[in-house]
Amino acid sequence: MSDTHINIQDFNTYYSGHQALKNISVDIPKNQITAIIGPSGCGKSTLLKCMNRLIDLTDGATCSGKILIDGEDIFDKKTDITDIRKKMGLLAQKPTPLPMSIYENVAYGPRIHGTRKKSKLDAVVEKYLTMVGLWEEVKDRLDSPASKLSIGQQQRLCLARGLAVEPEIILCDEPTSALDPLSSQHIEEQLLRLKKDYTIVIVTHNIHQAMRLADYVVHLYLGELVEHGLASEVFENPKEERTRAYIDGTFFTDLAIDKEINLKGNVCPYNFVYAKQALHTLEKDDVLRIIVDYPTAVTEVPRGMETDGHNVIRVKQINESDWEIIIQKK
Amino acid sequence: MDIRIIEESVFKTLMILSLTTVIGSLLVVIGVILWRGLPVLTLDMITKTAEGGYYLGTGGGILNAIVGSLYLAVGGTALAFIISVGIAFYLQNEYSGGTRLASMTRLSLDILWGTPSIVYGAFGFMVLMQLNMRASLLGGIIVLTLLEIPIMTRAMEEVIKTVPQELKEVSYSLGATRLETSIKVVAKQAFPGMITGVLIAFGRGIGDAASILFTAGYTDRIPGSLFDATASLPLAVFFQLGTPLPQVQQKAYASAVILLIIILIISITTRLIGKKYTKYIIR
Repeated sequence: MSDTHINIQDFNTYYSGHQALKNISVDIPKNQITAIIGPSGCGKSTLLKCMNRLIDLTDGATCSGKILIDGEDIFDKKTDITDIRKKMGLLAQKPTPLPMSIYENVAYGPRIHGTRKKSKLDAVVEKYLTMVGLWEEVKDRLDSPASKLSIGQQQRLCLARGLAVEPEIILCDEPTSALDPLSSQHIEEQLLRLKKDYTIVIVTHNIHQAMRLADYVVHLYLGELVEHGLASEVFENPKEERTRAYIDGTFFTDLAIDKEINLKGNVCPYNFVYAKQALHTLEKDDVLRIIVDYPTAVTEVPRGMETDGHNVIRVKQINESDWEIIIQKK
Repeated sequence: MDIRIIEESVFKTLMILSLTTVIGSLLVVIGVILWRGLPVLTLDMITKTAEGGYYLGTGGGILNAIVGSLYLAVGGTALAFIISVGIAFYLQNEYSGGTRLASMTRLSLDILWGTPSIVYGAFGFMVLMQLNMRASLLGGIIVLTLLEIPIMTRAMEEVIKTVPQELKEVSYSLGATRLETSIKVVAKQAFPGMITGVLIAFGRGIGDAASILFTAGYTDRIPGSLFDATASLPLAVFFQLGTPLPQVQQKAYASAVILLIIILIISITTRLIGKKYTKYIIR
């Protein structure tokens, strides 16, 4: 195994009383892609936010434990936070261009870190836009607003903007979840190309994406570290039952469904109550499939079921408005 | 018929009624002022200062009040802007998140907003007396500044609050400080809204009579320094309407028309400026 770049030790995060991360200790290897996987609400994004201390911006969030980057404790009072963040590019879930032109978006980082000369900035902008494969598409309209680009182009611009501050680490928070398949593929290719020079940490709930990209995998579940290790080992031969269930769950295709209920048109908490009643009629290990169209239910029903000790096998959008949730009774 | 459909149509009617009340009264106000004011609005009105006393004099125009009002409102708005921007940015979460100071500031601003302007006037007058000063342009500007700060700050704060958290996170993640983020990202994104805030405060400032009654005074001349008393349009309307002479009373409507036109010009130009900068805004 190669060198450790980010070293997380006994790390905890609390959101006003609620513990979002529980005693996480893991080493993230240098110049590899590390995927953090796990179901929604398991603390993946929180962990990522702690690595560049964006967690500081969240009201009521407190952390304990250590995160060392190149051996430096980022939560130490003496650490200059802007230096830490400069070391890390962030690729957010939704492409977030800054309210300025394409050129200014890329030049923003270098400019605040002291590059003033126009010729130098020009070179930086061209270099990183070329690196993400955007230069040819935008070189004639560098002054037009970044928001005018397509979503996929915007995400590549955001990547270029992050790279322009010359970080060592790239943090990606479900970077393709808002993109179409082709744009997603673009981003994935970029990440694979970049890993020889950068340490990449990607949060994803897409297990296929994790398999395509990751060298190292960290599996979180309800704030706990379930398993971590080389991607080949974790995916092929998970040590933990919960990891196996999570990986298998996403691969279920012909699932023997024992009961199916349609809860479209119901709001929370009724869809939860109905789902619970339906589960009640089933035997242990039977599988229930429910269809919901209420956005809150998509996250709340699985969370509630997991709290009750049932196994949420799959949460998937099946068309414009509807989601299916598959639960196994425990 | 279904009761729900009746409910629906009753509420729709009520809403349309409220709407027409607003638009209707605006049109009536403008209409009456134009109808009474336009016939007396001559070139002399806007190119000459008052002759023969502002209270009883029938000659001359109200150039003294126009210039005085612009001095007062522009001065007050500029000062209020400098102070309000600081407060509005400070009230962001990153600086003051959840602190007592922030909620105290908000409460004070709300109370100041609700304070009648004559109270500001009386307070300003008292201070001037203590300092052995007379009513002056400077006194008027300071009182208008106090009057405008809460309006401007609250308006700006509301706009700044709407700047998406992700935008700020991006800026921070690139290693920007809070100041850099505030100036280069937040202010840019919030610019048009902030301009509107300034405009609302300006409108309030130029139209307020009570607060400057004692602090800026009234005179026939254009003020030559910050320590001279100055005339203003709202007070021009007030004094002219109060005279026993019908010719002078008529001029009050002309003054009102001019006040309206100034506000209109300022609104439109600031909106145009604001528009120029909306190009890059993220929606």
